[in-house]
Amino acid sequence: MNIARLNSPSLVAATHCLSKYDSPGPRYTSYPTANLFRQDIGQQQYLDLASNEHLSIAPLSLYVHIPFCKNICYYCGCNKVVTKQSDAGRKYLDMLAIELKARGALHGHRPVSQMHWGGGTPTFLDDGELTELMHLIACHFNLDDGINREYSIEIDPRAVEESTIALLKGIGFNRISMGIQDFDPFVQQAINREQSYDLVKQLSDSIRDHDFSSLSFDLIYGLPEQSVTSFNDTLDKVITLNPDRISCYSYAHLPKRFPSQRSIDRLTLPSSDQKLAIFEMTIARLTAAGYQYIGMDHFVKPDDELAQARKNRRLQRNFQGYSTSLAADLIGVGPSSISQFAGSYFQNEKNLDDYYNALNNQRLPVSQGFTMSEEDRLRNFVIMNIACQLSINFEEVKQKFDIDFQQHFASSIKQLQPFIDDGLATISQSEISISEQGQLVLRNICMLFDEYLSTNPNENSFSRTI
Amino acid sequence: MPTSIKLKDTMTACPHNSHVSCGNCRLNTLCLPIALRTDDISRLDEIIQRGKPINKNEYLYKQNSPFSSVYAVRSGCLKAYRLTNDGEEQITGFYFPGEILGMDGIGKNKHNCSAKALETSAVCEIPFEQLGELSTQLPELQKHFFQIMSHEISSDQQLITLLSKNSAEEKLATLLISLSARFAQRKLSSTKFRLPMSRTDIGNYLGLTVETVSRVFGRFQKQNLLSVDGKEVKILDFDELKSISAISEI
Repeated sequence: MNIARLNSPSLVAATHCLSKYDSPGPRYTSYPTANLFRQDIGQQQYLDLASNEHLSIAPLSLYVHIPFCKNICYYCGCNKVVTKQSDAGRKYLDMLAIELKARGALHGHRPVSQMHWGGGTPTFLDDGELTELMHLIACHFNLDDGINREYSIEIDPRAVEESTIALLKGIGFNRISMGIQDFDPFVQQAINREQSYDLVKQLSDSIRDHDFSSLSFDLIYGLPEQSVTSFNDTLDKVITLNPDRISCYSYAHLPKRFPSQRSIDRLTLPSSDQKLAIFEMTIARLTAAGYQYIGMDHFVKPDDELAQARKNRRLQRNFQGYSTSLAADLIGVGPSSISQFAGSYFQNEKNLDDYYNALNNQRLPVSQGFTMSEEDRLRNFVIMNIACQLSINFEEVKQKFDIDFQQHFASSIKQLQPFIDDGLATISQSEISISEQGQLVLRNICMLFDEYLSTNPNENSFSRTI
Repeated sequence: MPTSIKLKDTMTACPHNSHVSCGNCRLNTLCLPIALRTDDISRLDEIIQRGKPINKNEYLYKQNSPFSSVYAVRSGCLKAYRLTNDGEEQITGFYFPGEILGMDGIGKNKHNCSAKALETSAVCEIPFEQLGELSTQLPELQKHFFQIMSHEISSDQQLITLLSKNSAEEKLATLLISLSARFAQRKLSSTKFRLPMSRTDIGNYLGLTVETVSRVFGRFQKQNLLSVDGKEVKILDFDELKSISAISEI
């Protein structure tokens, strides 16, 4: 292994104390977390709240879920339907049209400053269908053609021709994220996702040629057959391809919850020590290559919008992970998608048939949700500030929620002490601040302020934090 | 009537003839009817308007004019172009029989470019609203329409990339290979064809000066890749020309 120069020696040095913080915990893409959503929150509450905000002209973030995949990737825990039927997309577009029309009637007047198509595999749809879907969205929502819009799509390198890259640019996307996971052929075989480096390189070049403003790679560590050496080779290739953002997620082996993971032989998984070593090496390699770690598994170039947003305290976190705070409210369409506005969360039916049934019965396909109490809003504010701005200011909390932070969160502050002792956080009379090293354990620090965690019946269903 | 485009099999109906219908049109395997059953073709035919031919240099539509229809070329050739902010003309595409143009207006309900005939041309006008209504009843039509549209969008983007990245040789080879493929689709010769556009138009489209276009044509002839006689082009070494071009997939 060749680690020539470390940009963040303190970050790398801090990885030695990580093992004691490795416990199951949420990624805080929402607070309260989605496992707490209640089935008595649904269409009625959605319509009531949406009709209240119909005068809002604030920008919107739109998430579009395309649930289909041609092949099954064994590690995947996403909501998806694996099918070889190429006409599945046809029926789906017809049903999505109904939902887009209904949602557009409620929110369509607001400019869509951010849009993301995820899956499943958005590129399961063929070129004509991708075009039709964008046309459909444009019919019901107020799409933005300004250069500051952030319209992104996840692509599967195995399913995309160069002409599709050109099409995606032409229909308005300016960001692409590619599922890489790992370049090692043995790992790829073990997860049933085989895609060559040459293929990915060709597409990456084409994405650059077509002038996309951002290319992002998803990697996973902790996969079967992975070792420090093999993942080091993968990182060599990744660094050569020079993406603007890298998400390096920790693989959570939860075969009881995700049946496809049963195809992964437990004995081929790296041990937790090996996994930690891979993560340490990843931090070292990527920071040496000039990436900045912004926490929650995300690495970005220092001139990337997310790094800038972190600096300017304009970073936010929602179901798509970190983003710049162009739009606070999120509307999600398609099965399992989550919407977030007016202090509430709403999740669509997860099962495709249930989703179709709701639409066929002229219902919004919302099946569960959560309306935040004042206490939830307070804790949401604290947790999101820690996750995004790496600090929480007591005076700001007082002004916003009229509570004394140190008094209200006395027990959380007490639990913060070991983090402070390890140099991961500091506390003063005015604020809690997370150190550079503390970004490695952001999830654990957020957990201290999560009211539901101790009483949470599904505690063990969270993936581990490291 | 231009004689540039002759179909290999005998013509039963003159392509300029406004009485031609989708059912008996020579181009119905390229154009919208391809996706339809015979009885559905007549439903498409009912919404289509066929006017008299457009003369050379006449406009089909102008930039910023309201969008209401897309057009299928029945004969001849048209060019689409935009006026840039500096008032310069930038050609965005050439359209041959069987191809559909005007889709640039869908997004904003007004045409994003102008379309002008390069030679006497006949077009079928397809009112977009009626096409939309018919599409809801004929899903295959809708599917095919969006496929044509996606192809159009992706070619546009590929052109933009071609213009910004490639050498003059690559650009001209790409245009010739692309035209060759399009002629082949219409069952015309893929190696011997007439270019209806001027060298100036080719230069404008590819972002090259006329002199450069002529020079590269000359170089290709010297290399025995092409023989050129005025507007008549014969491709002598297709594989070599293709390898020079930026086209990897045809």
